[in-house]
Amino acid sequence: MKSPSLAKKLCLLLLAFSLAGCGAQTAQNEGAKTETKTEAKPAADAKAGGELKVAYQAQPQTLDPHVTTSQASATIGRNVFETLVTVDSRYQIKPMLADSWEQSEDGKTITFRLRKGVRFHNGKELTADDVVASMNRWITTASAGKDHFKDARFEAKDAHTAVLHLQQPTATAMPVLAYLGGNYPAIMPKEIIETADPKGVKDYVGTGPFQFKEWKQDQYIHLAKHPDYAPREEAADGLAGKREALVDDLYFQFTPDASTQVAGLLSGEYDVAADVSYDNVERLETDSNIKIEVAPTGMLTLYFNKKKGLFTNAKARQAIGAGIDAESILIGAYTNEKYYKLNHSMMMYYQLGQWSSDAGKELYNQNNPEKAKQMLAEAGYKGDEIKIVTSRDYEDMYNGAVAFQQQLEKMGVKTKLEVYDWPTFTELRNDENKFDILVITNTPKPEPSSLAFMRKDFPGWTDSPELDKLLASFRGAANLEQAKAVYDELQKWFYEYVPVVKIGDGNSVSATQISVKNMTWLDGLIFWNVSNQK
Amino acid sequence: MNIYLAKRLFALIPVLFVVSLVIFLIIHITPGDPATVMLGESATAQDIEALREQLGLNLPLYQQYTEWLMKVFRGDLGESYFMKETVLQSILSHLSPTISLAILAQIVALAIAIPIGIKAAIRRGTATDQTIMGFSLLGMAVPSFLLALFLILLVGVKLQWLPVAGYKPLEMGLWTHLKYLILPSLSLGAIQAALITRMTRSSMLEVLNTNYIKTARAKGVKERGVIYKHALRIAFLPILTVIGQTFGGLITGAVVTESIFNIPGIGQLIINSVERRDYAVIQGVVLFVTTAYVVINLIVDVLYGMIDPRVRLERK
Repeated sequence: MKSPSLAKKLCLLLLAFSLAGCGAQTAQNEGAKTETKTEAKPAADAKAGGELKVAYQAQPQTLDPHVTTSQASATIGRNVFETLVTVDSRYQIKPMLADSWEQSEDGKTITFRLRKGVRFHNGKELTADDVVASMNRWITTASAGKDHFKDARFEAKDAHTAVLHLQQPTATAMPVLAYLGGNYPAIMPKEIIETADPKGVKDYVGTGPFQFKEWKQDQYIHLAKHPDYAPREEAADGLAGKREALVDDLYFQFTPDASTQVAGLLSGEYDVAADVSYDNVERLETDSNIKIEVAPTGMLTLYFNKKKGLFTNAKARQAIGAGIDAESILIGAYTNEKYYKLNHSMMMYYQLGQWSSDAGKELYNQNNPEKAKQMLAEAGYKGDEIKIVTSRDYEDMYNGAVAFQQQLEKMGVKTKLEVYDWPTFTELRNDENKFDILVITNTPKPEPSSLAFMRKDFPGWTDSPELDKLLASFRGAANLEQAKAVYDELQKWFYEYVPVVKIGDGNSVSATQISVKNMTWLDGLIFWNVSNQK
Repeated sequence: MNIYLAKRLFALIPVLFVVSLVIFLIIHITPGDPATVMLGESATAQDIEALREQLGLNLPLYQQYTEWLMKVFRGDLGESYFMKETVLQSILSHLSPTISLAILAQIVALAIAIPIGIKAAIRRGTATDQTIMGFSLLGMAVPSFLLALFLILLVGVKLQWLPVAGYKPLEMGLWTHLKYLILPSLSLGAIQAALITRMTRSSMLEVLNTNYIKTARAKGVKERGVIYKHALRIAFLPILTVIGQTFGGLITGAVVTESIFNIPGIGQLIINSVERRDYAVIQGVVLFVTTAYVVINLIVDVLYGMIDPRVRLERK
């Protein structure tokens, strides 16, 4: 097996004395066509053509987002598939395949008017039938669909109108439909949906700026510019507006080894390294041929076992919240303040424009181990061993867990840290006898009620009648604006019940050659409107 | 000879059976299964359970094993859970990078080891001998990934002569194909060479002291002829064993090297499949690897007979 620690050290050493020598890039320029340039603002200094090779850590099982929550699947697949609606950089809901939508007054139907003249990669025109087939499958198979749209149904009204019939008003409907992270509601042709099996669709046919070309297992996924793509006319902003494939070929090269990614970037083999290990960033920063991009990734979070053990008691959970020094755990996990943000909100820092509340702020990052000790004693802690479980497959989780463990010791808690590979971890976390606290990076969600710890069936097993009431009024609000009024109370509940303790928001680091222009991020890297002229 | 071959091949069946049973139990007892990995990071227990049912992973272990075994007897290794291909396709597509790498690494190893091993034997006890042996000791002590990282740094990143990661099939041109394999095969081959050099030296020394070499010299055969025609032929037997073993090791996956250079070979396939808990592929690859190992050993035994008539096997 690999010996990561030694390998990592060696790699650092090697990178350190390689800095001098990263001279000329010699990669060849494939067919530097100058295509008619359009007026899109972000693409102002961009020339079309060429290829983009992205070193990507994990190969997903499928690009079909209806059957997997995998972020890798979403980041790659959303170049191929599009959704009815999407979000701009401020998380405002914007049109994509639907030109407009309206919600009935009782909040129970949402009517989507589709764009005309949108063509799938197989040449077929998009109609309401495709939307209905795709969305109804998504509602019944995807976790997000099942969670928010139970018993809801899409129906075609005419060729270009699809209607969503809900059982009750669902304020979260639009943000969930506009979310483009794992499990996003991709629209595919009806015929493709009909032949899908539990492992996913057999062909990847979408409406996106790139079309699926080839998947060489464990090597790469090759996407190519879709020549007949008709972009939206609004200016590009976040995931919304004009999308344009500026490179002819887009390759996702699977490179599970983080140091291989970096070496491949330095030698010019790759144009983008999608997941750079924090240890390597400093070295890359000093290379004038490399650009570093920092993008939010998730929230480092402590999940308590609320079914069994000490943390069934809310007081004990509050005690941990009182005792920890969030900053030093975050330093442990992310190495540098550039790569994390202290944030008391349940949502990520970049979502604060939409979801902001100061409820419970004083209970965040208290760094008061003495108070914690006392509260733990009140909660009946008798010095039993507390089992912390995490996975080493994600360095921030593991490093954060180590730092957290030291702080627990300061609070007078006897601890044991268990570290597993990801599949083992996902199995163990479903067993209430196997952990007291999980250290997980929580995936950002489009709205608070989608957060994993709100679910009764997610490890940690939040079970709070108060939350049920709050969720009912939050989700049951007629629209999003009314729901926002409940957000304050939700966050208050978050700091009283303490389903989890949020430590802070983390960023991930990617790096590109300087020839790569206009790469941005929103719930994953965005590869349209990105040019690469070497 | 044929009977001997048949016997050896027949003996393979219980080996494969035991290996398959053991590996089946180990991977199924390990927590986590394909369903947890396929559904992604934030899947719920219910969804995982549902997919398990659809994939038949909730059946009792003995039933899953016998079903798999029956299929294998029919020549069907099954379908990968994770990848959109059959296990056989996976193995075949990951095999060619590994074979290319193994052959190149072996060429590198032999090109270094045989000449300098012989030289060390002839110049026994001199400074040349000691230098060669010193280097070979170093070679055996240095792990191949260290050499790999060094080569990546020097030749790939600093000089930018050769690509540091990836693989291009032979269809894309011989040079393109080789270009990606030079660094990995150097880092693997140089380490293998260390072992083969020592073997060559000691084996040659033994042979050079035998009476028939003295006789050959006495009857006036030129020294070159003595070394290469008389001595090497006999000395080659134990060397061949080592070559067979190292080659077997290379074919069954140079796991670390493939990982560092991102070569999609059998070693990578094993690692990735374990991480994905892709049961079908793990079982299939292990069966394949075991078979390959045994067959290579068999070939070595047969070659023994061809090189040294004394070892030739009884026949009618």
